Amino acid sequence: MRNYSMLLQLLLVIVLTACYSSRRSKGGGQTNVPAIRETSPADIVLPEGYTAEVVASGLNFPTAVCFNDEGVPYVIEAGYSYGEVFTVPRLLKIVNGETQEVMKGNENGPWTGIAWHKGNFYIAEGGQKEGGKILKVTPEGKQTVLVDGLPGNGDHHLNGPVVMNDHIYFGTGSVTNSGVVGPDNADFGWLHRFPRLHDIPCQDITLAGVNYEAADALNKKGGAQTVTGAYLPFDSASTEGMVIKGKLPCSGAILRVPLQGKELQLVAWGLRNPYGLAESPDGKLYVTENGPDVRGSRPIWGTGDVLWEINEGSWYGWPDFMEGKPVALFKRPGGAKPQKVLQTQPGEVPKPVATLAVHSSSNGIDFSTSETFGWKGEAFIAQFGDMAPGVGKVLSPVGFRVVRVNVNSGSVEDFMSNRGKKTGPASWLGTKGLERPVSVQFDPSGKSLYVVDFGILQMTGDGQSKPVKNTGVLWKITKKSSL
Amino acid sequence: MKQMMIVAGMALCIACGSARRMPEGDMQGARENASLENGRHQYMKYCQKCHPMGEEGLGPALNNKPTPGFVEKFQVRHGLGAMPAFKKDVISKKDLGDLIKYLHTRKKAKRLS
Ligand code: HEC
Repeated sequence: MRNYSMLLQLLLVIVLTACYSSRRSKGGGQTNVPAIRETSPADIVLPEGYTAEVVASGLNFPTAVCFNDEGVPYVIEAGYSYGEVFTVPRLLKIVNGETQEVMKGNENGPWTGIAWHKGNFYIAEGGQKEGGKILKVTPEGKQTVLVDGLPGNGDHHLNGPVVMNDHIYFGTGSVTNSGVVGPDNADFGWLHRFPRLHDIPCQDITLAGVNYEAADALNKKGGAQTVTGAYLPFDSASTEGMVIKGKLPCSGAILRVPLQGKELQLVAWGLRNPYGLAESPDGKLYVTENGPDVRGSRPIWGTGDVLWEINEGSWYGWPDFMEGKPVALFKRPGGAKPQKVLQTQPGEVPKPVATLAVHSSSNGIDFSTSETFGWKGEAFIAQFGDMAPGVGKVLSPVGFRVVRVNVNSGSVEDFMSNRGKKTGPASWLGTKGLERPVSVQFDPSGKSLYVVDFGILQMTGDGQSKPVKNTGVLWKITKKSSL
Repeated sequence: MKQMMIVAGMALCIACGSARRMPEGDMQGARENASLENGRHQYMKYCQKCHPMGEEGLGPALNNKPTPGFVEKFQVRHGLGAMPAFKKDVISKKDLGDLIKYLHTRKKAKRLS
């Protein structure tokens, strides 16, 4: 038996290693784009008793929906998509499936989220060109800038907002994948616009002096290698014990301002891309965090997206802890262990509420508050779906569904996905179902769940994004028996 | 030897149909016994992110393979290939037993195709 076991082990190692490393990435964006996007709720699977319908289609990079006091849905169109496609961000009112433009924004998308509170809209303007902003917009479309100068010009943007305790809470995405600016950021596009941009900590940090060599992505050194440290501009080396001053606004954090604007306050930090924010029925703040990719100078492998409960003042570990665990655990098969970039750890790292699929891009979140809809108290999360091979390799599409999460047990279950032998966007499966769900929102009655589907975003073999305009859809899910 | 051949055969990624399962209905979880519930909990904590719902993702599909429990346990403990290993101090013997039991109920759940 002992011999068997050893032989078996040897055999499995050979078979499995060969098997995995030789398999090509088959992400959900690695597909041909259909000439037109058609929709059919029949191609979508929901738990028994639920139905899907299309509320609006032909939307241009939609990212979020909210409702006024009468329950009328309003959708925002982002105005920017990965792939460096700039369009005009817009706020639209949806009336009988038709869209009416309420207001237009500037070329500073992506608008990532919207909230309705006491007669006004609050919009998170991503800030790819001018930095993140929080806009206050009246129902007539008159806008004021409540806060500006927030992070958002890098890999990730300004996210949120959610109104709680008379404050607007929002997330600032990190500038980079894992703290170090590299050639991957030139591929994104922004490093050419902002060659000195880098992450900013919320409090003082001390660096370990770990540096990363990379190609001369900005073509300034005649092709010589560049050397970059964490929290520093591209091609600036760090030294051991170097202190980086913390300040507000910072990147990779949850911040808030009072409803009338002004004083910026720190809520939590050490997050990578805190995308979706929601208040639970018992008044706590939950946040979805997009985990790191296998890209750039400091690639991280096998890290899930995370659902966190936000404790005020806590540090959540990025860039030295992922999912609350040391970064050394997340090494690429065959690669070196990622090293910590901080010399001292700014705090104890909390434990995740739930760990979501690696590369699923778990984004918008909302809680069920209705017995009629079911799963009262559970969180519903829209998974935009992988951007492989840009983010790393997957064997099959990951995400492209809406999951529900029990925040007490951490269990993640399928709620809305496409029919088919595999999960994937409709364009990949060749069906008329879901493409890329980016956010979810219950209507004010809590009886219907609205799902914002960004539309088609293709990925090229070399990892570039190719979004397709005007392919976004707003879906509505209802429990049949509650009609 | 025969046993080894069977195991090796399975490791060669023989996919037996769809790995997808129907989404659970409301309250389905509440009907589980304590050990299955613990198994689900352990699966969610340690496996779900790479084998989402037992389907293919970062790692291969699990739902559609008739791999026996002891081989799955071996894979978890030793982390062969690209998968990380989970030793007894991370997942206890009892928890792994429950986890595999849960995985096998997933395999038997109603298929979606
Ligand atoms: C970080 C990602 C990751 C995690 C976490 C993970 N796995 Fe895996 N798993 C993989 C990968 C990748 C493979 C393929 C290994 C190879 O072929 O090199 C694999 C292979 C397997 C296999 C062999 C199946 C086959 O077809 O080859 C089993 C069984 C398995 N995993 C079960 C589990 C269980 C149970 C857990 C939780 C305790 C788990 N895995 C956690 C990534 C992961």
